[in-house]
Amino acid sequence: MKISKLAFVFLLSLLMVGCWDNTDLVDINIVTGLGIDKDEDGKIVVTVQIVEPAAVHLTSSSQAGSGGSSQTKPVYVMSYKGETIYDALISMKAIVDKRLFLSTNQILILGERFCKDGIDEALDFLHRNYQSEYRADVLVARGTKPEEILKIQPDMDAIPAMYIKGTAENTVIRAKVEQKKLIELFKEIKNEAKQITIGQITKVDDKTVKTEGIAVFRDGKLVGWLDQYQTRGYLFVTDKVDNTVISIQIPNGKIALEIKQSNAKREVKFKNGKPERLSIDIRLEGNIGEYIGKEILSSPDDIYKIEKMLSQAVKKEVTMALEKTQKDYSSDIFGFGELVHKYHPQYWKKAAKQWNDIFSQLPTDVKVDAKIRRSGLIKSPMKKDD
Amino acid sequence: MFKRIRKHLGREKQENNSGTVPMNADDPLPQSIDKVKEKLEEFFSDCSDYIQREIVCGEDNDVRILVAHIDGFVDKKVLNQDIIRPILDYFSCSDRPYRAKYVYQLVKSCIISNNEIEEIESMRQAVYRIVSGDAILFVNGSKRALAVGVKSPHGRQVAEPDTEVSIRGSREGFVENLSTNMILIRKRIKNPNLKFEIIQLGTQTNTDICLCYIKGIANDEIVNEVRRRIMKIKTDAILDTGYIEQYITDNRLTLFPLVGNSEKCDKLVSKLLEGRVAILCDGTPYVLTLPYLLIEALQTSDDYYDHAFFATFMRLLRLFALFISTLLPALYVALVSFHHIVIPFKLIITLAASRQGIPFSPFVEALLMIMAFEFLREAGVRMPKTVGQALSIVGAIVLGEASVAAGIASNLMVIIVAITAICSFITPPLIRVTMLLRFVFLIIANFFGFLGISLIAVVVIIHLCKLRSFGIPYMTPFSPLTISDLKDTVIMAPIWAMITRPRLMLQGDTQNTMGTKRQEVNKISED
Repeated sequence: MKISKLAFVFLLSLLMVGCWDNTDLVDINIVTGLGIDKDEDGKIVVTVQIVEPAAVHLTSSSQAGSGGSSQTKPVYVMSYKGETIYDALISMKAIVDKRLFLSTNQILILGERFCKDGIDEALDFLHRNYQSEYRADVLVARGTKPEEILKIQPDMDAIPAMYIKGTAENTVIRAKVEQKKLIELFKEIKNEAKQITIGQITKVDDKTVKTEGIAVFRDGKLVGWLDQYQTRGYLFVTDKVDNTVISIQIPNGKIALEIKQSNAKREVKFKNGKPERLSIDIRLEGNIGEYIGKEILSSPDDIYKIEKMLSQAVKKEVTMALEKTQKDYSSDIFGFGELVHKYHPQYWKKAAKQWNDIFSQLPTDVKVDAKIRRSGLIKSPMKKDD
Repeated sequence: MFKRIRKHLGREKQENNSGTVPMNADDPLPQSIDKVKEKLEEFFSDCSDYIQREIVCGEDNDVRILVAHIDGFVDKKVLNQDIIRPILDYFSCSDRPYRAKYVYQLVKSCIISNNEIEEIESMRQAVYRIVSGDAILFVNGSKRALAVGVKSPHGRQVAEPDTEVSIRGSREGFVENLSTNMILIRKRIKNPNLKFEIIQLGTQTNTDICLCYIKGIANDEIVNEVRRRIMKIKTDAILDTGYIEQYITDNRLTLFPLVGNSEKCDKLVSKLLEGRVAILCDGTPYVLTLPYLLIEALQTSDDYYDHAFFATFMRLLRLFALFISTLLPALYVALVSFHHIVIPFKLIITLAASRQGIPFSPFVEALLMIMAFEFLREAGVRMPKTVGQALSIVGAIVLGEASVAAGIASNLMVIIVAITAICSFITPPLIRVTMLLRFVFLIIANFFGFLGISLIAVVVIIHLCKLRSFGIPYMTPFSPLTISDLKDTVIMAPIWAMITRPRLMLQGDTQNTMGTKRQEVNKISED
């Protein structure tokens, strides 16, 4: 009897301590986009994009139905300044009513000025915080502030963050921007042998953004940019191209080639215990996606010709990317350092600190072997002979 | 605490009993018919349904026979045809000699044309036979009386039970009449090994309880244990097998049913063939089956009549439904109140949008909706069938539409309660268990989220593993694991592959022979 009474009291006390973190879904602010930047004085500016769920439903249903303009905006964008990121986020409650819920964060936009000073600070906070969403896409805003990017009002999606995430995700079919998840950054920031790259985002107008090209970092600090073609060269080398389209000029016409598969082999050639050359061997397979010309593509020779041209085009892009990173940025974003670390650990121990400088001095061999598999459903071009 | 209550109640009962029993127990029958008459009239004073008739016939009117019975309980046609007419015919013909001394023997063996005759030696027995519907013949000068079974077959026709509907298989359900029920079982098992043991229970009602099992298949220990527990019941009334169930259950403090019940004949027969013991009770169509295992809640008779693939799929579906009906509202509340992190992004927006503007917390909202549903269900059960239609319309509108439109409940909550309700009807034996557990899980989910849910789930599972039904662990064959018995659980083997009977029910030496016998039969039939 005594024990049962004690157990009852114990149970009652359990009821008292319960539900301390019981928060209703309507009592949190669902954050879909997070922007981190610095202002001129070096203060941190944190921007959040908050979703208004009811308004999202209203806009999506009204689009489907009568098409009437919705009264409430589906998202709010709020910015706040603080000494640190965490400080800014917490102090932001001065202008935000409910708890900020970061686990739904879809995109993280870093400002150019912030990146130049190093992104370690942001990564530290986001890794430490249990709420942060590791699968959020990270992008660097070029020529604009993260705030401006998050404030766009796209027509394509009620939530701007989803729109931006979509453009970053579809890199799998165009290979012109690198999609980087937050969790990948956590891993790569500690890697000495490979420098970080993050996709870049630019604002086109109030409704559209563009994700093309990448930002190149060295030791966690932004050093420069690669444009879309250099980016594709970089992706070819790092074996991240799934699908893309390459256009080639031919006499009297153009060809668009659809790359279906690409495999790259990187190698650092050593001589006398020192790295001598960087060699890159790319094999790719593609189909003809569009052809504007006169010749009929019937013989294998015609195909060989096109294959050769494709190889040249890819090689050009790869060389451009290599030159830019070696000469201008001297940052080993391709991960040649990893190969050295793996196969020549003794040498790596000595050279790890100066590897980026050594890398930028090395000559490169680029070999591209392109194969064309299919010419599409038709053989001859649609254009009639003159 | 329960002991104290029981003691208290016991005392009251004893006091009651001592005052009302008028019978002076084992008095032998008086030889003189006048004395018998006197005594019976005393017993049945103020019983307007009691009828006695004295037949006086013979050459010198020396044959006096008293026929006593309850009006309406016996079939009057049969009574006249089998007893009164033959007696009168026999003794009115003067060419048939008799001696007054042997009238009793004569009546017993030559005159009465009814087969169901029994000799009675005490007054107590005589009175009991009268109230159970037999006609009693007292012959003047004899120490014994004759009880003749001329009970009229009253009661419902055999019909399809409302509670257990099956798509295939027999549509015969049990009725209130015990002998009809016994016939229904015997019809399906034409074998003298099928035993019916009748036991009378209830000091006031004298209800016939029938213990039914197949000798050689049912475990003798279990049969003895069931018999022992039934004998131990001390009560003045048994109105339903539910009374017996509560007396003989192993654990009186559990939510889970430890005794099965059924209204369907084919289902009961298959249980008997698996080695279970059945308890029938006069006056109720519900038959108890023992021992009862948790897995039986997932089994239906249709499973065995159909292809094993479909049966397996249905079993999985039922298991899933069982989990949904207990856990879904709790999981929803835990997700919405605590674990926003695990909700996918697009779902969280939908959830938040549906919760917008609801004044209650998810817990209160869930509680309100589930309560509303339970009210509706209970009302639906208790209401006259003609009003049921109106109720279901009101319920659908109130629950489904109006509460959402009024902003008291979210759309999603209505869906969740609806799914929960549908799933709870899939496993009928556990409806009440899941209903209570649902509330327990819901409350704990509101305080501790997933942690609380898993905690209670562990407690429930431990409880289930601890339960026993007549010595058989409740979770058999999962715990303890009996691999050969897994053939008829969540994944069901086809009927031709179920060669052995459930292991735990059987006696040690019969289990193999039964199996091999069946195999042999199969072989022979194949040849």
